[in-house]
Amino acid sequence: MAERSFKKEVEELRIGEGEIFRGEGILAVTKALLQSGVSYVGGYQGAPISHLMDVLADAQDILGELKIHFEASASEAAAAAMLAASVNYPLRGAVTWKSTVGTNVASDALASVSSSGVKGGALVIIGEDYGEGSSIMQERSHAFAMKSQMWLLDPRPNLTSIVDMVEKGFQLSEGSNTPVMLELRIRACHVYGSFTAKENVTPSFNLRDAMENPVRDYDRVVLPPSNFVHEVEKIEHRWPAAVDFIKKNRLNEFFGGATGDVGIIVQGGLYNTLIRALELAGLSDAFGETALPIYCLNVTYPLIDDEVKGFCLDKKAVLIVEEGQPEYIEQALNTILRNGDIQARVVGKKVLPLAGEYTNQVILEGLRKFLGEFAPELVAQNADGGERALAPVDISAISETVPQRPAGFCTGCPERPVFSAMKLVQKDIGKFHVSCDIGCHLFSILPPFDIGNTTMGYGLGWSGASAFNTETSMRTVSIMGDGGFWHNGLTSGVGNAVFNRNDNVLVIVDNGYSAATGGQDILSSRAENKTKATNNPIARAVRGMGVTWLKEVNTYDIGAMKKALKGAMSTAAKGPKVIIAQSECMLNRQRREKPIRNKAIRDGKRVVRARYGVDPDTCTGDHACIRISGCPSLTLKDNPDPLKDDPVAYVDNDCVGCGVCGENAHAAVLCPSFYRAELIYNPSVADRFLAHFRNVVISFFQNWGEAKRARTSFGAQL
Amino acid sequence: MSDRRPIKISINALGGQGGGVLANWIIKVAENAGYVAQLTSVPGVAQRTGATIYYLELFPQELAVAHGRQPVLALMPAPGDVDIVLACEIMEAGRAMMRGLVTGQTTLIASSHRVYAVSEKIKLGDGRQGTEDIIEAAREAAGKFILADMNEAAATAGTVISAVMFGALAGSGALPIDRKIFEDVIRKGGRSVGESLAGFANGFTHASSQDVATESAAAAGAQNENAAPASKPAEASTVSAPVQNLLTRMKEELPAQVHFTAKEGLKKLVDYQDVHYVAFYLDRLAHIRALDAETGGERRDWKLTREVAKHLSLWMAFEDTIRVADLKTRTSRFSRFRKDVVAGDDQIVHVFEFMHPRLEEICDLMPAWLGGKILSSPMLRKALGILFKKGRRIPTTKLRGFLLLNFMGSLKFLRRGSYRYKIEDARINDWMKSIETLAREDYALACEVAGLQRLIKGYGDTHERGLANYGTLISLLDDIKATPAPADVFASLKIAALADEDGIALDAAIKRLKPGAIAA
Repeated sequence: MAERSFKKEVEELRIGEGEIFRGEGILAVTKALLQSGVSYVGGYQGAPISHLMDVLADAQDILGELKIHFEASASEAAAAAMLAASVNYPLRGAVTWKSTVGTNVASDALASVSSSGVKGGALVIIGEDYGEGSSIMQERSHAFAMKSQMWLLDPRPNLTSIVDMVEKGFQLSEGSNTPVMLELRIRACHVYGSFTAKENVTPSFNLRDAMENPVRDYDRVVLPPSNFVHEVEKIEHRWPAAVDFIKKNRLNEFFGGATGDVGIIVQGGLYNTLIRALELAGLSDAFGETALPIYCLNVTYPLIDDEVKGFCLDKKAVLIVEEGQPEYIEQALNTILRNGDIQARVVGKKVLPLAGEYTNQVILEGLRKFLGEFAPELVAQNADGGERALAPVDISAISETVPQRPAGFCTGCPERPVFSAMKLVQKDIGKFHVSCDIGCHLFSILPPFDIGNTTMGYGLGWSGASAFNTETSMRTVSIMGDGGFWHNGLTSGVGNAVFNRNDNVLVIVDNGYSAATGGQDILSSRAENKTKATNNPIARAVRGMGVTWLKEVNTYDIGAMKKALKGAMSTAAKGPKVIIAQSECMLNRQRREKPIRNKAIRDGKRVVRARYGVDPDTCTGDHACIRISGCPSLTLKDNPDPLKDDPVAYVDNDCVGCGVCGENAHAAVLCPSFYRAELIYNPSVADRFLAHFRNVVISFFQNWGEAKRARTSFGAQL
Repeated sequence: MSDRRPIKISINALGGQGGGVLANWIIKVAENAGYVAQLTSVPGVAQRTGATIYYLELFPQELAVAHGRQPVLALMPAPGDVDIVLACEIMEAGRAMMRGLVTGQTTLIASSHRVYAVSEKIKLGDGRQGTEDIIEAAREAAGKFILADMNEAAATAGTVISAVMFGALAGSGALPIDRKIFEDVIRKGGRSVGESLAGFANGFTHASSQDVATESAAAAGAQNENAAPASKPAEASTVSAPVQNLLTRMKEELPAQVHFTAKEGLKKLVDYQDVHYVAFYLDRLAHIRALDAETGGERRDWKLTREVAKHLSLWMAFEDTIRVADLKTRTSRFSRFRKDVVAGDDQIVHVFEFMHPRLEEICDLMPAWLGGKILSSPMLRKALGILFKKGRRIPTTKLRGFLLLNFMGSLKFLRRGSYRYKIEDARINDWMKSIETLAREDYALACEVAGLQRLIKGYGDTHERGLANYGTLISLLDDIKATPAPADVFASLKIAALADEDGIALDAAIKRLKPGAIAA
């Protein structure tokens, strides 16, 4: 079960012709897929397209009615390979993932399906994780479209345009026998808006028709001589067909004035940002009405030579607003104009930055430079009054004060104690090299843990340390999450280590979900899942791969975790050593258990809830407990002792009672300030009786102590 | 061209604060009030406790209809072009200002409470950032600034901060939308409606009455200062006779400037041991006071005596097993933990202490000769150490645990003959001797050395690390004295010692002081 449930929202997917659909961009894409009559959908979750997968997982009933097969693919490669169904049959299919990382993984299959060509429309929906909020290397997916020759759609970021482009994308794919990529930036994936819906479509030819009437066409297989034919086909048939379709259906749009000395060419996804920049410069209104001619590329690959030439013919200069690098579109524009002997200057990265997200401020600054050089009259015309200045705010006073606030482990996260233990082991045996993976556990690289050297990709934690396999006194430790393990790590990590007789240590963090991407189920999830086969233990897979040194440890038992790590680091046994650190993701656990507990309490049942606390009068304000935990609910409070300068540790009310702080206090021999409190709701008669009895005795001694202290009273409360 | 521009709202929140819920509520309010509403965000991994922004634009539907086109709404805030900023924590208001989102056109609604960042929490001393300059900058930058502890307002209503911020938005009048439309959205949400509405009302009140906001702002500003609270006037009637004698002696022997600190010291040590121990404390202070008078303390506000009064009391009240056991079993502690864990009146609460007494702590309690003997014999250490290898969970609310701790806590009479006492007493004497020597040479430096006790705190490894750093700094005194501003150098070394536990900052500071030196 994923972190966010869409059970309510998926009902929106049923709405029909003429009704208004309201929701997030990625939900709109889901609806568009249903309106387009897809037969199959696959993909791998990851921000910003996780919700697309979650919505589909929650929409099994609707998908069933429409005879759509949905697959939570094992990896992006598996998802991309799924598109093979559209090679021989007129089946529409869509796959989705986070890009560029997912496209990297998928590129093998993508190249193959692009070479074979498709009969049914094949759409690859990529969430371009670039700019603010991104958690990956900053690259462009554009290169993949170019190298495999897939068409790349980059629609204007409003739901109507996005939905329209999904539908046109399938037609374009079919019309040019080429898979099509639809790129959505992070904000577009999450944009809430509305569009007018259409009826969902059940495909007239479905998966069953294909399976019962198989078709084989040797020309579609990527082997000689077909592979050579495919390349020629791409150039001679598919490309011209695509250009034709794009022109005829006006996928690219022209806005603003019809003529003028200067114009702007913009990637569709940046259109709204450009308009806001123009508005701030006094050159557009809120509806995007402007005198400047704009050529909006909803298709960024291929470019349509005729359209480009037509737009630039009468212009002195055009500004190309193209985010990221290298500047593929700018280069292509120059080639087109050069070949067409058109003299308009193409200005892009000369006035806009090569790297980084194009915010409205960035575009505004570039626009000013461009206009200043090529249309100074436009700047002058708006110099007084028209332009709202982006008021500079003096932040020098506060820039030192505002602390950085990177993401971190949630309250009660079962992965925290793994790194607490690792930090303690490093104190005992010295520092070791740690190779990280992708997942929540990667937060270990941040304070307070500061653990981890590299991260090479999803499931590649152990391979990332495979070079370090030599005679040594200090082994390396690699980390892998259960998500990464099933994505790729089983073969690339564990298999690789077994085969190459690796002598190092792998810690697999088994929290039962693909937690970082939103808590989706995976093979080893303990939860029952109606449509997927769960409960396949990681330990069995690891043993099956040939690992013999294997320990399974409960992560919250820091002592045991320490012991297992130390054992793995020091054992004389040669060969790969694997520790599976198990405990359920706390977010998922709370979501599952809290409503049940609350109901039990409301129903008057006896319930015991644990949480933790710190005694301020024994806490000395050193914060060692925080340095090996970093738990959000373990925070600071003013020291109640007026003689002490340093704030004391304090457990706030968000504590979920995981117990890591107490375990740490034990394992690290920290201090006696931590206590575990067990709150009994609806206590039984026996509880009350015992409590009363204890109270009598305890109060007797306490009163005695108080009386003694009263003899040296200062009059006021101490 | 139409002049109408959308209303732009930025929500600056932390992952887990319900920023998404708040954003969705605003969307519904806007749609119900006849606006085209757009919302975007870049949550990603930031939803795991990081700083995150939700951005909304609202545009009147009737204008769009009249114009026959939908407005083109932006997906991110532009500096200098945001109408409303909702900051769910005061530092996030600061971050919004750093992004240039708060200007004269902006209504800034901020919660004054703090959620400390990891970088603030992990310091060995006090790493908390003050909020005064954020508040000051916000007053200057924002067109309208509404500040209140929205977190507290949420807690009193039994809800979460998003409901209070929602109410504050309604109360601020920044949106030309009726209160009822806001409340209807909460009602339609269907979950915990009563609590959410109560939180909403709190927020509404805070925002619609600027005076309240200003007052609580001042309170919030003060909250972070470590100023000593004003001492409560003692009711003469309840001051016990032996204590009265001590207070009289304190007043006679010490200058008024020292009274506040010394009195706190007195309280602490009476509570820690007994009146004889306090007399000993006053003896030591009298000695320092004489020294202070001799070295010009009067014109320095008796700073040295004040520093020593503070740190001597802390040192003399060193933490040992007796002290911990005593504190853990008191009535006041029992009522405090019930409050801290937010227990209901009819709930039974059991607490379990995480204690890990090592052989060292046990020997600390023994008579000096015995404790010393065991700890100096590797064989005995090893043999006895086995008994104290594991941490213990002691159930203080059950008789077994309570009686054990209560017994331990009653062993005060053993303290002054114990092994630990002997060691600490010797350390204190050494410390006082260095202060005495230094005061005659460099008063300011002597005050710094008096404050060095701050490094020694905690238990076990933490205590040993602090003690080692203390020793390192004392051993560097000769080098420090050779610098042009010894007191400043010493103070900066002290800060370095509290910067990180691996001693990286301290080593670097020592290297700067003594190039080529290897840190102890």
